[in-house]
Amino acid sequence: MSKNRLSVNRRDLFLATASVVATGFLEQSVAGGISNYTESRSDKKAKVVVIGGGYGGITAAKYIKKQNPEVSVILIEKNPFFVSCPMSNHYLGGFYEFSELCFAYNNLTVKYGIEVINDRVQDIDLDKKVVITPNLRVFYDFLILSPGISYDINEEEKAFYKAYPPAFKPGGEHLYLKKLIEEFEGGDIVMTVPAYPYRCPPAPYERAAVILNYLKKRNLKAKLYFIDANERPIINAEGFMNAYYELYKGYAEYITGTYVKSIDHGKKIVKTTNGEFKFSLANVIPPMKASKIVEKIGLLEPGQKWVEVDTFTFETKIKDVYVIGDSARTFLPKSGFGAHMQGKIVANNITEKITGKKSKDELLMVLCYSMVSDEEAIMSETSFRIEKSSGKIIPTHREDNTRRKSTVKRYNEWAKGLWRDLFG
Amino acid sequence: MNRRDILKTCSLFAVGSMFNLFKFEDALAVEGSYFKKYKKTLLVKEDGTPLKETDIQSNTALLFFYPYRSTPCYIINTGREVKPLDIKLNNGSVYRFTGGIGSKKGIVAYSAICPHQWSYPTKDFSLLNYYSSKEKSEITGKSGVIQCCAHISVFDPINGGSIVEGPAEFPLAAVSLVMEGGSIYATGIIGKDQFSEFFDLYKSDMIEQFGSLEKAKEEMDKTVVMEVEKHVKEQIKC
Repeated sequence: MSKNRLSVNRRDLFLATASVVATGFLEQSVAGGISNYTESRSDKKAKVVVIGGGYGGITAAKYIKKQNPEVSVILIEKNPFFVSCPMSNHYLGGFYEFSELCFAYNNLTVKYGIEVINDRVQDIDLDKKVVITPNLRVFYDFLILSPGISYDINEEEKAFYKAYPPAFKPGGEHLYLKKLIEEFEGGDIVMTVPAYPYRCPPAPYERAAVILNYLKKRNLKAKLYFIDANERPIINAEGFMNAYYELYKGYAEYITGTYVKSIDHGKKIVKTTNGEFKFSLANVIPPMKASKIVEKIGLLEPGQKWVEVDTFTFETKIKDVYVIGDSARTFLPKSGFGAHMQGKIVANNITEKITGKKSKDELLMVLCYSMVSDEEAIMSETSFRIEKSSGKIIPTHREDNTRRKSTVKRYNEWAKGLWRDLFG
Repeated sequence: MNRRDILKTCSLFAVGSMFNLFKFEDALAVEGSYFKKYKKTLLVKEDGTPLKETDIQSNTALLFFYPYRSTPCYIINTGREVKPLDIKLNNGSVYRFTGGIGSKKGIVAYSAICPHQWSYPTKDFSLLNYYSSKEKSEITGKSGVIQCCAHISVFDPINGGSIVEGPAEFPLAAVSLVMEGGSIYATGIIGKDQFSEFFDLYKSDMIEQFGSLEKAKEEMDKTVVMEVEKHVKEQIKC
């Protein structure tokens, strides 16, 4: 953890948020209701609208603008500043301050000339090519949706997930879960993993290790019931299993192939296909699906959880409309790093369409690091080779399951490099 | 633009230059955008005497700072001849890597700033390291490479720092070296350097370390070449 970074406490954070929201309100008042943000469609400048300022959306917006300075690029994001989901287990484990996960969007405008609109997308008219927010109507020629995930939960479960946030969407959920962890005095913790696919394959296993590390360091009389719908950790299985058994013996019970059936919030019981588990603290990670906006505009086929996109371009069934990141069904694992790679690919693809020039092929790879204690980490790398003759995608997967202190430094630099790419 | 195109362009401007010399010089500046001349800097040992080629053991990398006092480079005795070659970038442009120097033409130097996401050797640790021909990377199985362990970008010092594998968009920038009277001088940077990004991204670190950005950007008459571990506490290899 960097000690010389400016530390922002939670009160500062809320004050900062309030002031940005106030600014947004002022703009709305001046605008006097809904206005056409990009009124003229007669000029020849292409307009790219990106929805979602996460890893995929920022990358796409930045690289399109870098490659095509004359193109108008608008990024619409509901949050006033960026909070990283990668490295958020570091925050929960006490290895990072929350402020270390937060970044301002300003540089995208200051350095690259991207218009960042802090607003919530209500609807998109795919025929008229217009994005509708409470305050604006934004026309586009190319639309990139990078809206992240939604939890696949029902109305009755919402109160439980407010009380015990899954913390797989960055921000307030993490702040609240951290508070619960810090207030935990002992007893049983129930943590569950949904069947894959979900956001960030190693994250639940890393979080279990981070929580176990916390219990052990504080010498708490506690047990983690770690209930996994999958048969084993779906990535770095050897490294995670070794860590659970060698570092946290007696603190954890790992139960595999077990699904959550229901939750009794009042009695604090998680009912599973393998019995009932009473908890003092719960972190139930629910099944996930594409963000609600893609469902609303009809990009999600009935009964499907993820948006079908072209394997190599991420273009949807609607021409010039792309979905990247965790909402899309792709061969890349759902992750911030994967979304970042997809953002670059979409940028190249749109540049090709605008300029007519063939752009370079982007390497397809995903790197995942995981903390297994406060001082050791493991990692994996998957790269994808495209066999042009058959159109097959051939993955090469490499894992380093040896716990190493040096891998922690690589992990930090992995994230900082990404952040440099996004915000530098 | 390939070399043939460059020659064509040059000859066109050569004709034009009879009428307007200024334009010809402008054209050369554009063609030379992948070679940037910096202050001619003598490479010296820690005792202040000039570094000789025999001071760099075969299959070894040493560290020095160039062209600025804050920007690290590796000088490597590859132990074999490093030939000049044309390096083609993803954007289609081509530049000439001038090859190795020394009696065996095996000494090369590269800017140690990863062109992917700008990791570089700090006093604490380095993820961008040289793997000699006798040393194998655990994760990529490669030898004789410069590899960054943050995102597994691998570069080939024998081939002008070109990309072997990984997500980097550009090769490592090479340092132009010349030998004069047995002494080694750095004269400029060949390829796409990362200095603008480096000083932008690490501005606060530079101010903390050197007192100001301006001081971090000072060029030098002499630069000390040292064993990597003299500057970097931990070389993290993978």
